[in-house]
Amino acid sequence: MPNSNIDIVKILESKLSGKSVQILPGQLGTATIKVAPGDHRDVFRALVEADEYTAISAISGLDLGANLGVYYHVRTSNAFLTIEVEVPKNNPKIQTVNDIAPSAAFHELEVSDLFGLIVEGNPRSGHFVLPETWPEGIFPLRKDVNASEVKQNPPLPEEKSDEGKLVKIIIGPQHPALLEPEKFAVLVEGEIVKAVQPRIGYVHRGVEKASESRTYIQDVYLVERICGICNSCHATGFVEAVERILKTEVPPRGKYLRTIILEVNRIHSHLLTLGHAGLEIGYETLFQYFWRDREPIMDLQEMLTGNRVISSSLTVGGVRRDLKETDVPKIRSVLADLRKRLPFYTEIYQNEPSIRARMQNVGTLKREDALKLGVVGPVARASGVDIDIRKDDPYEAYAEIPFNEITKTAGDTWARMNVRMDEVEESIKIIEYALDHMPTGAYRIKVPRVVPAGEAISRVEAPRGELFYYVKSNGTTMPERVKVRTPTFANIPAFLTTAIGETIADIPPNFVSLDPCFSCTDR
Amino acid sequence: MTNFAMWSRLKSPWVIHFNSGACNGCDIEIVALLTPKYDVERFGIKLEPSPRHADVLLVTGSVTHQCAERLKRIYDQMPQPKFVVAIGACACSGGVFQGNYNVLGGVDKVLPVNAYIPGCPPRPEAIIDGVVKLLNALKAPPAPKTVKEPEIVVEKMEEVKPDAKQ
Amino acid sequence: MIDYLLLLFRVLVFPGFTFIVLFTMFCDWVERKFEARMQNRMGPSFTGPSGILQPIADFIKLLTKEEITPCESKRNVYRFAPILAFSVLVFALCFLPVDGNSIIPGVSFAGDLIFVMALVSVANFLLFLAGWSSSNPYSAVGAARVLTQFLGYDIPLVLLALAPAFLAKSLTIATIVSSQWLPFAILAPWAFVLFIITMQAELEKDPFDVPHAESEVVGGHETEYSGGKLAFLKLARDVQIVFGAALITVLFLGGANGPVPFGFLPQFWGTLWFVLKVLGMVIVSEYITVLFARLRIDQVVRANWRIILPLSVLSLILTISLAYWVFPLV
Repeated sequence: MPNSNIDIVKILESKLSGKSVQILPGQLGTATIKVAPGDHRDVFRALVEADEYTAISAISGLDLGANLGVYYHVRTSNAFLTIEVEVPKNNPKIQTVNDIAPSAAFHELEVSDLFGLIVEGNPRSGHFVLPETWPEGIFPLRKDVNASEVKQNPPLPEEKSDEGKLVKIIIGPQHPALLEPEKFAVLVEGEIVKAVQPRIGYVHRGVEKASESRTYIQDVYLVERICGICNSCHATGFVEAVERILKTEVPPRGKYLRTIILEVNRIHSHLLTLGHAGLEIGYETLFQYFWRDREPIMDLQEMLTGNRVISSSLTVGGVRRDLKETDVPKIRSVLADLRKRLPFYTEIYQNEPSIRARMQNVGTLKREDALKLGVVGPVARASGVDIDIRKDDPYEAYAEIPFNEITKTAGDTWARMNVRMDEVEESIKIIEYALDHMPTGAYRIKVPRVVPAGEAISRVEAPRGELFYYVKSNGTTMPERVKVRTPTFANIPAFLTTAIGETIADIPPNFVSLDPCFSCTDR
Repeated sequence: MTNFAMWSRLKSPWVIHFNSGACNGCDIEIVALLTPKYDVERFGIKLEPSPRHADVLLVTGSVTHQCAERLKRIYDQMPQPKFVVAIGACACSGGVFQGNYNVLGGVDKVLPVNAYIPGCPPRPEAIIDGVVKLLNALKAPPAPKTVKEPEIVVEKMEEVKPDAKQ
Repeated sequence: MIDYLLLLFRVLVFPGFTFIVLFTMFCDWVERKFEARMQNRMGPSFTGPSGILQPIADFIKLLTKEEITPCESKRNVYRFAPILAFSVLVFALCFLPVDGNSIIPGVSFAGDLIFVMALVSVANFLLFLAGWSSSNPYSAVGAARVLTQFLGYDIPLVLLALAPAFLAKSLTIATIVSSQWLPFAILAPWAFVLFIITMQAELEKDPFDVPHAESEVVGGHETEYSGGKLAFLKLARDVQIVFGAALITVLFLGGANGPVPFGFLPQFWGTLWFVLKVLGMVIVSEYITVLFARLRIDQVVRANWRIILPLSVLSLILTISLAYWVFPLV
C-alpha cells in the first residue's frame, strides 16, 4: 500500500475551478467527476501531475439512449475516481488520453470496437476484440443491436506482409507455450525481437452482452466462467458490486468463508503458474513436482465448494455452503504439508543455476514504466509498485486479517516468480488466521430478486492482479450493464515493451511470468 | 488393416490440444492429466506440439468465430487417421455461452467429433475415461448384422411366345 | 558360402541392424521410464509387460499414418533426409566393436576414430537439412539451432576423444578398446567427465536441449514431418543417443572388456558387458537431462567457447603429458 496523503479531490477542486466540472464525492469510488468531452484531458493532466500512481483501471462504455457514456475509472495512490464523459451517439468522437496516461491504449480500443466510439489520436485499424469476420459499423454492446443475429463476413485470406529483412514468427493461436489462443506476431532479426504485434479476441465470448439478458443469479454462473483459474474472484467482484447496489451487508461468517475460498484459489493459481514456468524453460521435473503438490489444494477446493475448478460457491448475499467443523482438521493438515514443502521450492527458485540463468534479467520492467503503463498484481509488485487491493481497498474480511504485502525491486521474470512464491506462504497464513477466528452465525442472507436502480463498482485482488467490476441496474431482475476489466488486459502492454531487445528464447519465460489468462482478457 | 497396425494405433495415441475459446477450466484439467496423480503416459498418450505429429485433437471451448477458421486449419494439417474429442460442456454444445454473438456453439459445428466428454470442467478421471472409451470403440469389430436375409420367391414366368401376327 | 551367410547374419541380425534397432528402442523405453520415475510418475505401463513395447508401438503407428509433404518444401531433400540420417548413424555404429570385433568384421583401419566422428557430423548435418527443407519458420529456426550447436561442440568433442587415443597411442577404435587393461575413465577422469558433458550437448539433451525447445519452436526441425519420415527422424535421434553412449563406452569404459567366466562364449559375455555399459551411460545422460532446465542458445554457445573448449584443450595437454612422461615410468 503506497503511504501517501495526497488529497486528490482537493487538488482537483483547486486545479479545475474554472472548467465545467462537477465533483460528486462518495459515488462510484472516492468521487465521481462529470466533465464535458474535451475537458477530460485537463482532468487527467491534473491527476498525472499530482500523483505518480495514477493509472487507468478501466474505461466503461455505456449506452445511455441518445448518448454514449465513457466512464474513465482511475486509481491513484489512495483514491479511486470515476471520470464521466458523455458523447452524442451520432457523433461519438472523443480525444484520446493515451499521451497523458499510457495505460489507456487498450481500453480505448476496446470501447471503440464494442460501442463505436471514435477516439481521435488512437485510431483502430481492423477489429480489436471482435473477430475479423465481424462486419464493420455494427457495435454489439449498443442496446439497439441484436448481436446474436449479425451475419458474419467470410474469413479473410492470410495477408502476406513484407517486413524487409525481419522474419515474422507467429506465436499462437495454437502453440505449445500457450494454453489459450491468442496471436502474437513477433518480428525478429536473427534471434533478437524487434517488435511484437498482438491480436486478441480469440476467446471473446460476449459475456458482457450476455449478462444483460440473464438474471443476477444466472449472471453469477456466467461470470464465473470467464476464467476457470480465478473463477471465485470473478464471482466475488460481481456479487460485491450487486450487494453495494442493494446496500446489503454480508454476515461476518459469510465474509470469512469467502476469504478462505479466495485464498485457496490464489494458492492453486500461483502453484499452477510456478509449475508452468518450469515447463516453459524446459524444466519438466519442476512442473511435475509443483502440480503434484497442487493436487491436495484441488481436493481442498472440492471439499470446500463441491467442485475442483469452477467453484460456484459464492452468491449474492453470502456463500452457498457452510464449512463443516469436521473438515477443518483436514484443511489444516493439507496446509501444514504444503508449508513443509515450500522451503524446498523456494530454495530451487532462489539457487538453481539454470533457473537463474533463464529468468534473471529477462523481461525487466522498470518502476517508472510499471507505473506509467498501469500494470497490476505480482507484475507490479515485482517492480516495486506496492499496490494490492487487499490492503489498499479492503473487501470481505481482509481488513481484519494481518498479512504482508510482498514486493521486490528487480522487476525481472525471476522477481515476479519469487513474489508469487512468497504469496503462497502469506495465503496459508491468511487461511489459518481465518480458521482460527471464524465467526459463528449465518453465512448467507436472502436478497430480493429485483435490484433497485443504481450503479456500483467493486475491485478484487485476483491472483493476477486487480479485477474490476462495474454493475449498473435499472430496477429489473436483469442488469443494465456489467463491465469487467481483468488484470491480464492491463498487463499485456507491459509484455509488448519488455520483450523488445531480447531473444526469442526469452519470450516463453517472460510471457509466463506475466501469468497471462486470455479467457479473462477477452471475456 | 492388420491387427498389428491396429494394436499400435490403440497403444500410442498422440494428442494435440487446442483451446477454441474456453475459460481455461478444461484446459488445466487436460494439463493435469500429465502430472503424477493422473499420468496418461501410462497409456502411451503424449502431448505433441505440432499438429502433424498427432492423432487425436482435444478441443475445448465453445468455438468463437475467430477460432473457427483456425480450428479447421489445424484439423486439416493433421495426417489421417485422426480423431476429434470435444471436452467440456462448451465444446459439446456451447455451455453457458450458447446464443452469444461470437460463439458458434460446439465443436461439431465445425468438425466431425468422435467423442464428447461433458462436464464443467470434466474431472481428469472423466477425460481419461472418455479417451479410453474412444479407443475401445475403435477396437471393437463392427456389430454383426442380425437382419434376416429376405426370402426370395422365384415365380416361374410364363414364356411369352412371339406374336404370330406381324 | 557359410562365411557369407554368417556375414549376412552378423550385419543384418546380430549384432547388426536388427539388434541395433531393437536395442535403440529398448534404450528409449529405459529413458522414458527413468524420466517418469524421477518425476514421480509411472511412464508407459500397459503396452507389453511394464510398457516395454511402447517404442515399437510408436514406431509402427507412425509408419501407418498418412505422409504429408508441404508443397513449398524442397522435395527430394525433404524426402530423403530422415532415412539418410538414420542410415549414416547405423553405419557409424557398425565401426564400433560390440563383441570384440566391429559389426562389419574386419573394417577397422588406422584412424577410424576420426572417420566415425566425421560420420556423426554428417548425420547432424542431414538433420539440419531436414529442418531447412521444410519451408516452415519454426523448422528453419530449429535447424539453425541444430547447426549452431553441433558445429560448435564438435571441436571439443574431437579434442576430448583424442585423450584416449593418446593414452592408447593409436587412432584405431579396436586398438583403443584392447589397450584398456584399466578403463581410461579411471586413468583420465577429467576427460571422461568433460566428454559426458560435451556428448550431452552433441546429443541435444537438457540442459543443451535448445533445438527441441517445444515452447519456442514448436517441433523444431521435425515440425513439418509426419508418418514414416517422422518415424525415421525420431529413430535417428534415438540411434544418435545410443551411438553417443556407445562411443563413451568404447573410448573410456573399455567397450566389451570384462570378466568372461570360465573363458566360455567370449562373444556373448563381451556383448553383455557392452550392453550393460551402454545402458549405464544412457541412464547417466538421462539423469543429467532430468535435473536441469534448458539453457538459451546464446548461453549454450557461450558455454562452449568460454568453458568447454579451453577445458578440453587443457585436458588434452594433461593427458598427453600423462601418457608420454608419467605412464612409461610406471
